[in-house]
Amino acid sequence: MISALYSLALTTGAPRVVRGSRIEHVCGNPALGPEKDAEYGRRIIRAALEALQTPVAKPTLFEPAGQPAKVEAHAS
Amino acid sequence: MSERLKVVHYLNQYFAGVGGEEEANAPVKVIDGTVGPGRLLQQILGGDAEIVATVMCGDNYVNEERDEALAAIGHALSHAEPDLLIAGPAFNAGRYGLACGEVCRLANAAGIASVTAMYHENPGVLEHGAECYILPTGESAAEMKDVLEAMTRLGLKLARGEEIGSAEVEGYMPRGIRRAGLREHPAAVRAADMLVARLNGRPFDTELPIRMPEVVEPAAPIADLTGTTIGLVTTGSLVPRGNPDRLVRGGATEWFRYSIDELDALSADHWESVHRGFYTNIVNQNPNYVLPLNIMREMEGEGAFADIHPWFFSTTGVGTAVGDSKRMGAEMAEQFLEAGVRACVLVAT
Repeated sequence: MISALYSLALTTGAPRVVRGSRIEHVCGNPALGPEKDAEYGRRIIRAALEALQTPVAKPTLFEPAGQPAKVEAHAS
Repeated sequence: MSERLKVVHYLNQYFAGVGGEEEANAPVKVIDGTVGPGRLLQQILGGDAEIVATVMCGDNYVNEERDEALAAIGHALSHAEPDLLIAGPAFNAGRYGLACGEVCRLANAAGIASVTAMYHENPGVLEHGAECYILPTGESAAEMKDVLEAMTRLGLKLARGEEIGSAEVEGYMPRGIRRAGLREHPAAVRAADMLVARLNGRPFDTELPIRMPEVVEPAAPIADLTGTTIGLVTTGSLVPRGNPDRLVRGGATEWFRYSIDELDALSADHWESVHRGFYTNIVNQNPNYVLPLNIMREMEGEGAFADIHPWFFSTTGVGTAVGDSKRMGAEMAEQFLEAGVRACVLVAT
């Protein structure tokens, strides 16, 4: 399961949780620009595929490798 | 006792009148006096207490930028020095309920009494129910007045340091705390009475409802993904543009499946999200953010796994009842198993 509200996913007992980007764009981040966004998305999916192959005994968080530099929220 | 108590009221962007989901990223803002339901709350508080400030924060911001948000809210609290924090009510708004619980805990840690209210299935209850006084509400804001009255009753007692009775007596949701006390009859007699009532089919009240946290047995890992078909699921309300099946925007009881057999990615020309629980503008420009078909196809091409199941499953993950969620999840799993799908990636918004 990929979710930006990953702590809630863990509390509710989802066994394999991948830390998503944000609620409005879980699998990437348009603010990074097309190339970095795609790379970030790949890291998220790789973490999901890794999670599927990893034994877990309890709700476990999988972090995409090398979180991108922090980007400002889309405050509108 | 006669001194007027100071209250800070916490609201999300919606109830503070800032805006809907498009404003959910709004950072913390402190407003003097009352806003939105705070006006009614002030009427109910009457001469006993005064709302000196309203703290507003967008539901996404407070959950995604938790540390910054809580620091700003903590600062607002130490500036206002209230006797009581009233958060919400959040009804069945999940992120709002989580925020209300967080803010109550923050207040409690600073020695400030706090109370909030929300629907019993709100994730805020699960996350913060043991640490806060949470009063039960229905799913919608229709009963705002009754809820604010109940919050006022309990909140003023807490702020005045009065003794708080059990959950049953005061009406808040049980926090899982047991306190020693004397009952009229010893436990053995009460237990025997309960057993007799049960055997005779008569109603009885358990003294200790056990809330069993549901434990999901994690599936065994897949040793080798290269031979595995992966299924894709989203709770982000992704549907073909125009929403032909009329998937609801919230409180889903149904899910639908759509073919992605011929597609390499999802185009905004053909797909949209109808989710009411987040601002869908970004997803509606790039639907792959809630169903990453573009990247999955890329990795399928690289041989990271065998292939992608030709149908993806979609429902709406907001205000969805736990019972319906379980049933829909089981139905999806059954279809996957029948089709030989042994792994699934679910994107939850």
